[in-house]
Amino acid sequence: MNYNNNYKVPAFLQRILSVWYRHVKVYCSSFFSNALPPFLEPLIMLAGLGIGLGKFVPDMGNMSFVLFLASGLIVTSAMFTAAYECTFGTFIRLEFDKIYDGMLGAPLSVNDLIYGEILFAGSKGFFFSLAVLIVVWVAGIVTYPLSVFATLIGFITGIMFATVSMFITSIVKNINHFNFYFSGLLSPMFFFSGVVFPVENLPKGLLFIAEIVPLTHVVRLARAFCVPGGLNYGLLLDLLYCAVFVLITGWLAVRGIKKRMIV
Amino acid sequence: MSDKAIIIKNLNKSFGDFKAVDDLEFQVEKTECFGLLGPNGAGKTTTMKIIYGKSEHDENRETIVDVFGHNPKKQSLVIKSFSGIVPQQDNLDTELNVTENLNIYSKFYGIPPREAKKRIDELLSFMELQEKAKSNVRELSGGMQRRLTIARALINKPKLLILDEPTTGLDPQVRHLIWNKLRDLKEMGVTILLTTHYMEEAFQICDRIIIMDKGKKMLEGKPRELLSTNLEKHVMELYGVSKDGSDSTKALDAAGIRYEFHKDTLFAYSNDSEKLAQIGEMLKESEYYIRHSNLEDLFLKVTGRSLNELQ
Repeated sequence: MNYNNNYKVPAFLQRILSVWYRHVKVYCSSFFSNALPPFLEPLIMLAGLGIGLGKFVPDMGNMSFVLFLASGLIVTSAMFTAAYECTFGTFIRLEFDKIYDGMLGAPLSVNDLIYGEILFAGSKGFFFSLAVLIVVWVAGIVTYPLSVFATLIGFITGIMFATVSMFITSIVKNINHFNFYFSGLLSPMFFFSGVVFPVENLPKGLLFIAEIVPLTHVVRLARAFCVPGGLNYGLLLDLLYCAVFVLITGWLAVRGIKKRMIV
Repeated sequence: MSDKAIIIKNLNKSFGDFKAVDDLEFQVEKTECFGLLGPNGAGKTTTMKIIYGKSEHDENRETIVDVFGHNPKKQSLVIKSFSGIVPQQDNLDTELNVTENLNIYSKFYGIPPREAKKRIDELLSFMELQEKAKSNVRELSGGMQRRLTIARALINKPKLLILDEPTTGLDPQVRHLIWNKLRDLKEMGVTILLTTHYMEEAFQICDRIIIMDKGKKMLEGKPRELLSTNLEKHVMELYGVSKDGSDSTKALDAAGIRYEFHKDTLFAYSNDSEKLAQIGEMLKESEYYIRHSNLEDLFLKVTGRSLNELQ
């Protein structure tokens, strides 16, 4: 063997993709147990809420309750998968398995690790929203062809909840503290961001809060792709919200994780 | 560019009030094996982490950290691209098999797939892991996991290999295997920097060592020379001796032999083993045992025989 190393530091994009590749590889190593739940969960939700409860619920705006709920579930599944990945997943890689310590021995910076992880969470968001879409397509709930673009909103949702979850991870000392994040923030968001009923029906104060939290905006975007005539210029404001949200929470996440890893 | 592999000068690192590294200075020549020795908490790991940029040293104008002409604070990626790093704790991906673990790291270095495949085959046979190529990491023994971690650090053909306690917790066979591999690598022109608290390890593979304690350098040199210049050739251990006024201490004092106590054992040092034996026979007070002094004695002499709070 010859030890005249002539490898250069890989380019930025290549480094991030290599981190992404690692996560994909590990995720796919237990593909069956990882890939089944994304399909089962929406089935259970739609069966329980949509078919069961749906009979007693009148149409929501211009769509049936089942369609309304289905178009919301496309992003909530992306939200939950990204949030789990970047809280419990990141924390375990950081603190218990020391996976990051090993990776930082390779020509990767802390930023590369974080960006790669966020990109992976976005991909998972894409995959999970696609799973929901496949279920609702097959069930005949969503039929509008442009709904295929809702997967992109799933990707954006994954990115958004990756950055904010990583920021939470950077300040958490104990893995059990994530329970506050899930039951205190994500679960209420599920019910008050227009997934199960339109936010317009909320009292003024709650409506204001609903407009502040991230989920409302991505639900609105995803739903717009699922029904004919849903798209309008107002949605650009929601997109702008997403961009600003990612920039701010992403900056906080990078700062926090860096502080934790380079000592 | 200097002809040294690593130059460290005036290196300091504090964590709050605690000084992990205190005014450290040493140089590593190219293609030598250099050992950092010291008890837990001596600052060995911190020094290593500073060298590859995982940890940042205190700001100080006089500080120099130069790794093959690169400063880890600014160019840690460059340093890591030509280095191999073996951390203290194996952190392999336990969900994946042996080959996949290596393959993932080949991507981190941007090694083209075809080249990576060849390289992985080479490394598996070098570390004697060919039969385990498709085995899940979870099924590997501790020694195999360690070898895989070392193989992973070699994927980029590093010119600098950094190992943090490479053989801690391994059985003697695996330790010898790893030492042999490290010797081979040195032959092939790899510069090796390692930390250890096994004196035998330092003796077996290190060309030069420094002994650190509480962040400071206590001694530096070639293992054998350090031993001969700092310590008598023989040690007698006497068990169950009372500390003061006993016959043994009087006899030793009379013979002008240096001795010290550690718990219930008395250690007497001399270049003359006959003399030690005479005293040992004369005393009949307890059992005695005479042996060659080793690096362990030197280590304990320098760093003190009592445990520090981190041990």
